[in-house]
Amino acid sequence: MSNIPDPILQGLQRGWKVLGGKHGALPERLSCDVAIIGSGAGAGITAELLTKAGLNVVIVEEGPLKSSTDFKQLEPEAYASLYQENAGRKTKDKGITILQGRSVGGTTTVNWTSSFRTPPETLKFWQDRFGLKDYSVEALAPYFQQVQTRLNIEPWAVAPNENNELLRRGAAKLGIKAEVIPRNVKGCYNLGSCGMGCPTNAKQSMLVTTLPYALDRGATLLVETRVEKMVIEGSRVTALQCIAVKPNAAPAHPGGAVTTVVARHIVLAGGAINSPALLMRSKAPDPHQRLGSRTFLHPVAITTAVMAEPVQAWTGAPQSIYSDHFMHTQPVDGPMAFKLEVAPLHPVFFGANLPGFGESQAALFRQYPNAHVTLALMRDGFHPQSVGGKVELRSDGSPLLDYPLTDYVLEGARRAMLAMAQIQFEAGARMVYPGHELARGTSTWAETKAAIEALPMKPLLTRIGSAHVMGGCGMAADEKAGVTRPDGQHWQLENLSIHDGSIFPTSIGANPQLSIYGTVNRLAQGLAKRLTSKEVALA
Amino acid sequence: MNATPALKRRSFFKLGIGSAIVLALAGGTMALMKPGLVDGKLSQPARLVMTRVAQAMLAGTLPADPAAQRQALDAVLQRTDAFFVGLPTHVLAELDQLLGLLASAPGRRFLVGLSTSWEEATAAETTAALKGMLESGTELRIQACQGLHDLVMVPYFSGKESWTVLGYPGPTAV
Repeated sequence: MSNIPDPILQGLQRGWKVLGGKHGALPERLSCDVAIIGSGAGAGITAELLTKAGLNVVIVEEGPLKSSTDFKQLEPEAYASLYQENAGRKTKDKGITILQGRSVGGTTTVNWTSSFRTPPETLKFWQDRFGLKDYSVEALAPYFQQVQTRLNIEPWAVAPNENNELLRRGAAKLGIKAEVIPRNVKGCYNLGSCGMGCPTNAKQSMLVTTLPYALDRGATLLVETRVEKMVIEGSRVTALQCIAVKPNAAPAHPGGAVTTVVARHIVLAGGAINSPALLMRSKAPDPHQRLGSRTFLHPVAITTAVMAEPVQAWTGAPQSIYSDHFMHTQPVDGPMAFKLEVAPLHPVFFGANLPGFGESQAALFRQYPNAHVTLALMRDGFHPQSVGGKVELRSDGSPLLDYPLTDYVLEGARRAMLAMAQIQFEAGARMVYPGHELARGTSTWAETKAAIEALPMKPLLTRIGSAHVMGGCGMAADEKAGVTRPDGQHWQLENLSIHDGSIFPTSIGANPQLSIYGTVNRLAQGLAKRLTSKEVALA
Repeated sequence: MNATPALKRRSFFKLGIGSAIVLALAGGTMALMKPGLVDGKLSQPARLVMTRVAQAMLAGTLPADPAAQRQALDAVLQRTDAFFVGLPTHVLAELDQLLGLLASAPGRRFLVGLSTSWEEATAAETTAALKGMLESGTELRIQACQGLHDLVMVPYFSGKESWTVLGYPGPTAV
């Protein structure tokens, strides 16, 4: 039995106002100064700053409230309780499987802690193409610094586990620079279970930082509660209609009670895919048909290697080494750039993501202790043939992302698999299996190179994943080019702000959590000033 | 409920199958189709389909001994039913239709390319048919095969028996 104190249970005992699910019946009606939809990266930062400014805040989260006591480091429970669609959310043609969070803390509760500021070339692209003049490295720097202090973001100072070291070692042999990843952790036990919820509260997610801050200052949190619709009258959101939902996202009481939340200002922070979907369900004004389009995923290509020595990729900080070498080998709007990282491997993630099946796979399963998976996060949204996906609604109002994989993206996947396989052989791989249904395991770089070059890079056959959802309510300086203004407010609805990853005009080109924290830090400080005239900061 | 991609008439025509079969299935005669899910769990016909698919996809991983294999398969099917509890309703609707289609002889024949009945199909026959789906170049067949793959692998690796096969020691206690 763990002796680790659970800060959520302690907060509940202190009298936090939490309703929904087992925490108490939802009221018929709630009023507040600001209603925040969602409880992830953008929601948490916003909640802390607005409560600091003295505002009365209600946070509405569709997922459950789970905390360290619940985090048993077991995949089946984690995927069912902490992720959208049981960790199996897919694009319309099933070509991409998306990992996105769904619980208090949002995706920050289940991410792998990698923290990068928005790359300068991404900001320059936004300044040049979307008129976002204030999005410069210098202007954003103090806001990033505050976040880094608040969330204890530091380059990982402990020796990388073998899984990560292999990336560094293999890359070094090719003259490719690999560096240490900064992580939002404090007192990390180096377990490697970040993706199943941190059982020690070392991960400085929204769950254990900003949300407790806000709840200690009187914020109300509704859980297992989904905002079905915003009531819109003219240019204002006048109410939120919310319903109780089951763990599998179905309504708990179909045709039953609706909770109405009324607020002066609304902050939408449900994340990409979800935020555009809510605006669509609400028939929000969208005069230039921007809503839901330009949704980006950092599509991920993979190669699996079997190394000569044990890797034990299930243990140790999951991501501590990265390489941005292939982010800079072509122009920003040229062939697809990609960032290299590795993946932690737990049984379901390992077994379900390997292409193929049968006897050859049986041999590979038994090599699990020596397995090594490299990831290439492809930077979408910078090339004319990389316009990302569009969010649609199913007949039940749930979101569906249509993201067709173009030849441009799939050629990027081919180049990425070549780069990863070569690095893995340099690191000592005995066999490499490209992430493609028709690929076999091959035992030399020459064979693997020829095999990858010959693969039909088609959707579905090329196995593509995603753990980063961005865009769909993109920011732009011109209302014709975006949904959101540069200050975070909706272009047409005067009391609505959008503070989440859906506001990014392109993908980030790095794991996005710090970009969301930093951007929203500035946006929410601005909002607090507009609503209260007070200056507040995160740290 | 929305029609799933699996049942769009356009997709059936692309497969080049005789129109009589296409119309019989896609024309809404659900009478030809057995239910895939009953009360949110695998129907008996779907259990048979998933048993054969699991025997093929987990060939070499499941125990060879027939009694031990039967036990392992029962555990996988039980975990499949448990897995369904966490799935959103739109996914369950798709699985219901896919499994119902596969359980019917016409569906088995033209979607999977398996002419032998599920009852009599050997692991080798099923494996060849499933591989054929991936190599078919037909979006519908690839989606269906990958859907079956998830339905086998997620429940299998959700069980602690798989940890022994993998050599996974389990989580570190805190």
